[in-house]
Amino acid sequence: MLGQYLPVVALLVLAALFAALSFVASRLLAPRRPHDRKLAPYECGIIPSRETPERFPVRFYLVAMIFIVFDIEIIFFYPWAVAHRGIGLFGLVAVLIFSVAVFESFVYLIGNGALEWGPIAEVRQAVSRRFGSEVVRPGVRQVGLEGRDAGNPTIEGGP
Amino acid sequence: MVIAADPLLLGPIGLEVFLIILIKVVASFVLLMVSVMLMVWFERKLISDMQNRIGPDVAGPWGILQTLADGIKLFFKEDLIPENADRPVFKLAPYLSLVPAFLVFAIVPIGGDFRTGDGTVGWFGHRTFLQVADPPMGILLFLALSSVAVYGVMLAGWSSGSKYPLLGSVRASAQMISYEAALGLAIATVFLTGGSLSTHEIVSSQSNWNWNVATTGVVPFLIFLVAGTAELNRPPFDLVEAEQELVGGFHTEYSSIRFALFFLAEFMNVITMSAIAVTLFLGGPDGPILVEQVAWIWPILWFSLKLLAFLFSFVWLRATLPRIRYDQLMDLGWKVLIPLALGWFLLIAALNVGRDRGWSPVPVVLVSVAVLWAGAAMLGGAVRKARAERRAIELGSDEVLDAGDGA
Amino acid sequence: MIAMAALQGFDSLMSGDTVVAQNIAFGILAVVMIVAALRMVTTGNVVHAALYLVIVLAGVAGIFILLGAEFVGVTQVLVYIGAIVVLFLFGIMLTRGALGEDEEADTEKRRMAVLVGVLVLVVTGGAVLDSFGDAAVNRAAPSLTAEIGDTIFSQYIVPFEAVSVLLLAALIGAIVVARKD
Repeated sequence: MLGQYLPVVALLVLAALFAALSFVASRLLAPRRPHDRKLAPYECGIIPSRETPERFPVRFYLVAMIFIVFDIEIIFFYPWAVAHRGIGLFGLVAVLIFSVAVFESFVYLIGNGALEWGPIAEVRQAVSRRFGSEVVRPGVRQVGLEGRDAGNPTIEGGP
Repeated sequence: MVIAADPLLLGPIGLEVFLIILIKVVASFVLLMVSVMLMVWFERKLISDMQNRIGPDVAGPWGILQTLADGIKLFFKEDLIPENADRPVFKLAPYLSLVPAFLVFAIVPIGGDFRTGDGTVGWFGHRTFLQVADPPMGILLFLALSSVAVYGVMLAGWSSGSKYPLLGSVRASAQMISYEAALGLAIATVFLTGGSLSTHEIVSSQSNWNWNVATTGVVPFLIFLVAGTAELNRPPFDLVEAEQELVGGFHTEYSSIRFALFFLAEFMNVITMSAIAVTLFLGGPDGPILVEQVAWIWPILWFSLKLLAFLFSFVWLRATLPRIRYDQLMDLGWKVLIPLALGWFLLIAALNVGRDRGWSPVPVVLVSVAVLWAGAAMLGGAVRKARAERRAIELGSDEVLDAGDGA
Repeated sequence: MIAMAALQGFDSLMSGDTVVAQNIAFGILAVVMIVAALRMVTTGNVVHAALYLVIVLAGVAGIFILLGAEFVGVTQVLVYIGAIVVLFLFGIMLTRGALGEDEEADTEKRRMAVLVGVLVLVVTGGAVLDSFGDAAVNRAAPSLTAEIGDTIFSQYIVPFEAVSVLLLAALIGAIVVARKD
């Protein structure tokens, strides 16, 4: 049976070889003239004034966590799906109990706002109401002068 | 029970068999490369048509060699590694994107007569399948490889040591794992009707128009399409490289051949995902044999036509739909697709078990729909509760706009 | 003549004893896994450590496939590499954006860690030896997914349902962690 994996391994070797040879070719053909500005992190031409944010919203972590749970559930589904005709009603009931247990905790999780993202329509309106006349163009972020050339006269203190 | 396996590899593996394997592997490699080249051209040309432009038309007839020209150009471009980068991981990431993209194609049967025969063809006196390999775990290999492909994206963004790639890669990997669950559940429904994990068996169970898109009731097919598009980071789910927010996304810092490999992997994934969709739901190479004299060509032709239909619709989607917001993306994945796929899987299973026990399908459907409706109502209630709570909190506090929230 | 002999040698290598090929594959996998495991605990970079862990887990999956337990092998990739290490990496990325070596990883806790590691090795190794002894795996008849399904839903039905309770606990734990933010 293991012979079935032989072509897969062969294709893997070929693909990796192709990528490696491309690197070699690029090394031989491409110019190498690095300097500071090329090697700096891309910031749309602005000199970075702030470090990369250290933390991300915890929701990303939650997504990964919920994914593990569903992944395990799905893994248990596969052998049952293949054999479910032979196992019959007993297996169906067992799987139903299993899915209900996972689904209800998933519902509880959603009810507690674990997968709540992004803006709410009313919140946006409330923002422009609260700041009244100060918000000239809601939704346009003020970029400011950070990182810009101070001697450039065309930029005048934002909108 | 008969174990599905390529008859070529069951016996002793001698030199001749080894050469056949080599031919198959090299052929599929070349096939993939050429089809990626054509796919990139096809997409650019089609999008141009849809937008009333001409598109590439200089390199070769109708600009068909444009991709080749672009690829050759990238070989001559300077290959930069940012000074902040984590060099070994930065170099590793393109491999992790490209190699899985290649391997998925190994399990796709691209031809073979499944109607009158067993899907094998004779080569140099050996019977073999028209697919590189047919491991018993077939489709699970696809899922495993797509979970490895997440690493390519995630590590590329992290190792760049730069803001936009990091944001793009965290977004991308959260998106990919979210839709992987829906993808897995849609595939599980196929196992209910096919009764096997091997792609060859799945295809042969669909021969003579018995396609899974009908036997599983269309819904898993649609879920697979949506989840597949999101898994590929294609429009309208291409938040990963939303230029207005993230520049180029996870591969912002990649240049030259390293970028070319990401690009190659991206388009290769479009092709292999379409091929997997054809295999799972549209009967693979199944179709009528119209001219008996060249019987062998028809399955390959049908497979290619089905594949082309998918590729066309991917391009069409890109030309038609605007990009959706990240919260809409997550809501669609977690609150619609996954519960729907789970419910449909259980519904089909209940119908199958009911049919085996001789129950009348009407009460089974009624009870199942009632149960599913109760589940949907619970979920809807939970979503409304969460939204109301958040609105109360956010309107109550002064920090209305949480800067990190939509990252 | 030499070519013929080489061909014959090749033929016998590929056809004769598949066990030989399996043993070679096992040897390669084992060496890679041991090296990766050592690098994982000695490297100062947390993300690199997670990646070495991925190599070890992939090696485990490879060994499962070599032993004919293909479903378990793919499960290993799907759950451990595809989900759990991704969770680790998310945890690392979400809490520290900075790249590079992490001094905190190399503290005086190292001696304790070695002790715990040896203890875990002895306990799990002892358990495996105790329950299986020198029983051989039937490599000629690989385990079928359908058989795994049958076994789960007959012999191991109680652990199966217990898993659902465990997952429930995990999800509730997740929300408790998240609510504190």
